[in-house]
Amino acid sequence: MKLTLMGNEAIAWGLIHSNTQMVSGYPGTPSSEILTTVQKIKKDLPIYAEWATNEKVGFEVAYAGAIAGVNAAATMKQVGLNVASDALMSASFIGNKGAFVLIVADDPGFNSSQTEQDSREFARFARIPVVDPATPAEAYEFTKLASKISKHFETPVMLRSVMRVSHSREIVDIDEGFKFQEVKGDFQRDISRWAAVPRAGRLKQAYEQLDRLDKIREYNYKELIEPKIKELKGTKNLIISSGAAYGYVKEVLEELGLDIDLLKIDMPYPLPNDRLKELVKKYEKVLVVEETYPVIEEEIRSENVYGRMSGHMHQVDEMNKERVLEALKKIGFYEGENIYTPAFEPHDAHIRKPNLCPGCPHRDMYFAIKKVFRPKKSIYPSDIGCYTLGINLEGIDTVLCMGASVSMAHGFSIADKNKTVIATIGDSTFFHGGIPPLINAVYQKAKFILVILDNSTVAMTGRQTTPERENPEVDLKKVVEGCGAEVMEYFYKPDINETINFFKEVKKRYEEIDKPLVVISRQYCVLDKERAKDFLPGIFATVDEEKCVACDVCTTQFVCPPMHYNEKHKIEIDPLLCIGCGVCITGICPTDAFIPRSEK
Amino acid sequence: MKYQIVVAGFGGQGVVFLVKVLSICAGKKGYKFLGTENHGMSQRGGSVSSHIKIGDFYNPLIDYAQADLLIGLDKDEAILNLPYLKKGGKVVVNADEFPKIDAEIYAIDANGLAEQGVFDAKGLNVFMLGITLEKVKDFPFSVDEVKAAIEEINPKFAPKNFEILDKAIEYAKNI
Repeated sequence: MKLTLMGNEAIAWGLIHSNTQMVSGYPGTPSSEILTTVQKIKKDLPIYAEWATNEKVGFEVAYAGAIAGVNAAATMKQVGLNVASDALMSASFIGNKGAFVLIVADDPGFNSSQTEQDSREFARFARIPVVDPATPAEAYEFTKLASKISKHFETPVMLRSVMRVSHSREIVDIDEGFKFQEVKGDFQRDISRWAAVPRAGRLKQAYEQLDRLDKIREYNYKELIEPKIKELKGTKNLIISSGAAYGYVKEVLEELGLDIDLLKIDMPYPLPNDRLKELVKKYEKVLVVEETYPVIEEEIRSENVYGRMSGHMHQVDEMNKERVLEALKKIGFYEGENIYTPAFEPHDAHIRKPNLCPGCPHRDMYFAIKKVFRPKKSIYPSDIGCYTLGINLEGIDTVLCMGASVSMAHGFSIADKNKTVIATIGDSTFFHGGIPPLINAVYQKAKFILVILDNSTVAMTGRQTTPERENPEVDLKKVVEGCGAEVMEYFYKPDINETINFFKEVKKRYEEIDKPLVVISRQYCVLDKERAKDFLPGIFATVDEEKCVACDVCTTQFVCPPMHYNEKHKIEIDPLLCIGCGVCITGICPTDAFIPRSEK
Repeated sequence: MKYQIVVAGFGGQGVVFLVKVLSICAGKKGYKFLGTENHGMSQRGGSVSSHIKIGDFYNPLIDYAQADLLIGLDKDEAILNLPYLKKGGKVVVNADEFPKIDAEIYAIDANGLAEQGVFDAKGLNVFMLGITLEKVKDFPFSVDEVKAAIEEINPKFAPKNFEILDKAIEYAKNI
């Protein structure tokens, strides 16, 4: 059956078509649609497909399923694997009975991430096999392959996707008439295997792991590499590639009319290194094109192998065909012109920056925080989510990783005692990684303010549900109180004076107490159709041009997308973008130039 | 058959919808299709551009000077994406005027038309596709094929989208 699928949807079909019964993980671009698609297409199939509070938790929930004998998978973005890596490093020794597919979506080019780390490197570090699909159709096939290898060799297997696979669309031929075969989980006690304690058991498993890797190396050669080597023509030079990078190379060779052998590696680790080194010897020069770290290149390194380590490929940022062409030139495979030189240059165009949505309460919070806690006397640590866009309002000083706003607020409060530290974090990020650092802060008697921006949704990644939303028995306020911090709750109103006055109260209380003060701001996401209607007053704004003095306060301190200067150099509000929150009318403008549209 | 299209706009303009329409059109004609779109930060009003490659391709990204057609739902976004267009390529853009370059340019002030009530501004993406269907002679799909794809994505809104598409085609005939 042929379907047009996004890479992440293709992976979801691959999971179902390999009888995967448990899927968990944490949302993160570009991986989020994998789990949501499983939820959508599983219908009545007996599949547990649910989000977890963070990647490590999701990994462990699913992995236990694989130990109990059912096929399972965990999904996350590349930085999520950093969080789950503790579990992975031990799981790679212990292994699994049912299949365990670890799906990680990388983001070469930092499109929506703080790093462009290569998860294949992580697979190599953990000594587990990794498959690297090039397109959505291949992602479907490789998901099934990963599941098969995982079950057969009793090891976790990584499916490494990248943004250009996860967020591409292709026509995918999926299995017709597939019958899902349910397996009843049946945990078999085997303490020496399943309980990762030092030392004898681990030593034995470490040797078994090496043995297993050799067998998989052999499988990789016989099943995946040898058939492709047989098709090589024996040209003077060779290019070795894997994953999405392969697509760039294949197109460049066609478009430049070059006849160079191209070997695609489906499983970049573990590689049959000796056999590949033999192959490499038959060619004059070999170029390795892979994304983003030199994994294959390092494994097969020889005198005539070139790539990133030799300085022939670009070192950072996403691959493109021009970069492949430049490498071909550098190594001497091509001498012609650069056919990817732009024919037209963009000139005089306004670049649109991502911004908080019109009506988003996060904007009010940063505006009010800065009014009450002035920038010169404050430090603003923040965290990862939509609210990170508060950086446009200069309401954020630091962003590191999930949950770090809390621990860094603690650290700053010790190091720089002359400033007030006021940190911001979303509710989902707080549940993900904010709780242990808050306990630590209370434990160590720290003094700072933490503002939890509770919109009850994981807004940035497509509005997945949060623990409290799904089950109100998870009580954010009780959790914070249970950590020992003091709580002040704010029920958001689209009136900037109310928000500013609330933060004045916060400041007063902060000065009175000697412990972390946590603000829980109960607000909403404008894209959240279920809840937004209860919050939006429908007061649309316009500008009284006589009052506007072009002071820039709204465009630099409030930064709402509909606001822009017109040709008369007066602020104007784009009526198509304004959603009627009315906040700007309540007191953003020093000269009261914002007025309700109904009054004009 | 090889045809490369860049659709440029910003969050909320329905760029991704057009990608879906074209992918279904390709599938039904038995053409290979690869498309890619930006997610994440771009959903918050930032630039959204999509690359669509129809025919024998292996990677979804279009490189500089390769696109046969640039559909711009916004003038600035279209200008920013000009490097992807090949010399002599075609541009269909929502703009009252557009830089004069060595390309076939169809600039339509669709924002103005929406304000005059010619069509619902929410259907800007479909309107620009209609202009494309009428003006771009080497466009690989017919009006009926596009309509069938729109119907498949959402039968409920299909009549409204057909209306906008037909209006755009009529409008384009007279310019």
